[in-house]
Amino acid sequence: MLLFSYLLMSGITTGALYALVALGIVVVNKATGVINFAQGEFFMFTGFVGWMLHVQFGMNYPLSFLLAVTVGFLLGTLTDRIAFRPIAKTDIVSLVLATVGIGFILKGLARVIWGGKADYLSFPPITSPEPIMVGSLMVIPQQLAVLAGTIIIMLIFAAFFRLTRAGKMMQATADNSRAALLVGIRTDRIYTLAFGTGAAIAAAAAVLTAPLTLLYPDIGFAFFLKGFAAAVLGGLTSLPGAVLGGLIVGIAESLAGGYIHSSVMELSPFLVIMIVLVLRPTGLLSFRKARRV
Amino acid sequence: MRKRLAGPTTLFAAAFVVSAATAQTPGITADTIKIGTFGALTGPGYLYGKLPMNGVEVVFDEINRAGGIHGRKLQLVREDDRCDPTAAIGAVKKLVEQDQVFAIIGGGCSNATFAAKDTLEASKVPTLIFASVHDGITTPPAANIFSTATTSTIESQAQLAYAIEQGAKKIAIISMRDSWGRARYTPLIEAFKAKGITPTADEELSPDANDATAQVLRLKAAGADAVLMLLYPKPAAIFIRDAQKLGFKPLSLGQTGIADPAAFEEQVGVPGATANFRTISQVRYTPEDPKMDKWRKLVEAKFPGDRLSVYNLFGIGSAEVLVEALKRAGKDLTREKVVDAFANMKDFATEVYAAPITCSATDHRCNKGPAWMAKEPGGPIKVLGFTVVGQ
Repeated sequence: MLLFSYLLMSGITTGALYALVALGIVVVNKATGVINFAQGEFFMFTGFVGWMLHVQFGMNYPLSFLLAVTVGFLLGTLTDRIAFRPIAKTDIVSLVLATVGIGFILKGLARVIWGGKADYLSFPPITSPEPIMVGSLMVIPQQLAVLAGTIIIMLIFAAFFRLTRAGKMMQATADNSRAALLVGIRTDRIYTLAFGTGAAIAAAAAVLTAPLTLLYPDIGFAFFLKGFAAAVLGGLTSLPGAVLGGLIVGIAESLAGGYIHSSVMELSPFLVIMIVLVLRPTGLLSFRKARRV
Repeated sequence: MRKRLAGPTTLFAAAFVVSAATAQTPGITADTIKIGTFGALTGPGYLYGKLPMNGVEVVFDEINRAGGIHGRKLQLVREDDRCDPTAAIGAVKKLVEQDQVFAIIGGGCSNATFAAKDTLEASKVPTLIFASVHDGITTPPAANIFSTATTSTIESQAQLAYAIEQGAKKIAIISMRDSWGRARYTPLIEAFKAKGITPTADEELSPDANDATAQVLRLKAAGADAVLMLLYPKPAAIFIRDAQKLGFKPLSLGQTGIADPAAFEEQVGVPGATANFRTISQVRYTPEDPKMDKWRKLVEAKFPGDRLSVYNLFGIGSAEVLVEALKRAGKDLTREKVVDAFANMKDFATEVYAAPITCSATDHRCNKGPAWMAKEPGGPIKVLGFTVVGQ
């Protein structure tokens, strides 16, 4: 039972991070219909920004977090203005390729700005590094902080989409962009907002994750892969689905590693996804809309 | 009269033949020897390229200040391979064909150097590798390529030998299974077989892992008292951190992938977690060691803004070996003589390597004595000794 508890806790913590990355992918896809392949690089780049603010400039963690999220939002909106809006009317393949290009640019920039300082940059823990006992379970406080932070961010974004005018306009654009345009919603601004929000979520995920891992310019792809898997599992357009998908991917990895063998850890989430998609091609929480005629 | 002239004539003829031969050998003049070097001068791989090259250059400066080798000064020509296999082939071709160097010392990133092996071999230019550890560079041996870098097989064998030496009874493995990890994993399993031991547990960890709870729990359940880590610093730091969290404190042995125990302690970030961690170094001194003062001053004077690093020491040790081979080859320098000098080098002591350098005609891995380093939590880095393997 203790083994299961440890594996579950570790699965939930990493799963929550995958969920955040998935959330960013879903927000952009929901509003624009584009899979942002640069989401992992937004994660990496803003993680480095957080590191620079906190470690190099000595700012406290909450301020570094907020500034990194702001930088993420600005980076996302700037990317939309420079890279996507000029080709917005072209086909979807061009837009997707543009996201791949942005990813390479961000990785190159990170190497120029932060390369050569060390192989891997460490982000100091925001809590005591000493493990604590929660019942009979030994956990690192940092894991609890990450988990709490992830839940708070998810709640904030859920509230944003349900309660704010901007969030509702994003939902409307996602449901039917032409109808949204007809009722006066500036869909181009919604796209900008979606890219900004997606990058801001990536920044939040990165600065939360940074103390649990090490930063390096290639970190983004691995997180993107798991986040994308989680988003697909959840249905690609469902925000709760992204969260559920992230948790399933994290827990599947951990339990497979503990109970079968560590060699199947990387494989297990993708097996789960294959099985789910065979049984439910639209994902766990995405439903095909019935059209009345 | 005829008899009187015979001596000087023979001498003159011999001198003419020698000077003609020397003149035909690229890269040599009456007072210079042109040596080429390749490796990454730019990008993140500069640690294994530019820094060892800087080490080579300060050794050459010292030799030149003392009058050179048999009256010839050493010139270093650098080429950037950017850690890229195609660029490495291009760099070697340029050094050989355009710059016409006499010999080469270099090779930073393993995959790039391995890609250039055929080009190096075909050129017949005496080559000494200073940092690349890929087994394929020296095995099977190419007639003209030697290495002072500890190869991945040597490091894997040393890990197992050291664990046994430390009294470990249940030895486990945790490894990455990418090309870097496999190059170490396969010889490690062979080393286990050769000693008639079975690993207590054999776990994998992804290079991008952010959690190693499952692996730690499995190794702990197996009762491992030593864990041989074939990991990059990132997954290794995650493993050590999670091991500490779960109260698992075996002897943990790394390889040169984790070359800096101080940086590693910082990356792990949990006080005391690295207490049982040891790692391999190609050299026996840390840059801070007083015995390295001479080199520190020279490197920092020649390259303002640089601080002596362990990667400089790779170049310094390798350059000492090349210089020795050039000296042994004699004044009438040919490439064949330098290759012979490498192949016959036995127990040559350098200022930086842990074990004496020994090569042979059949074994071109000249550095078979990796050193062991540890850092007491919060304390200085210490060199614990060295393990000689593969001889």
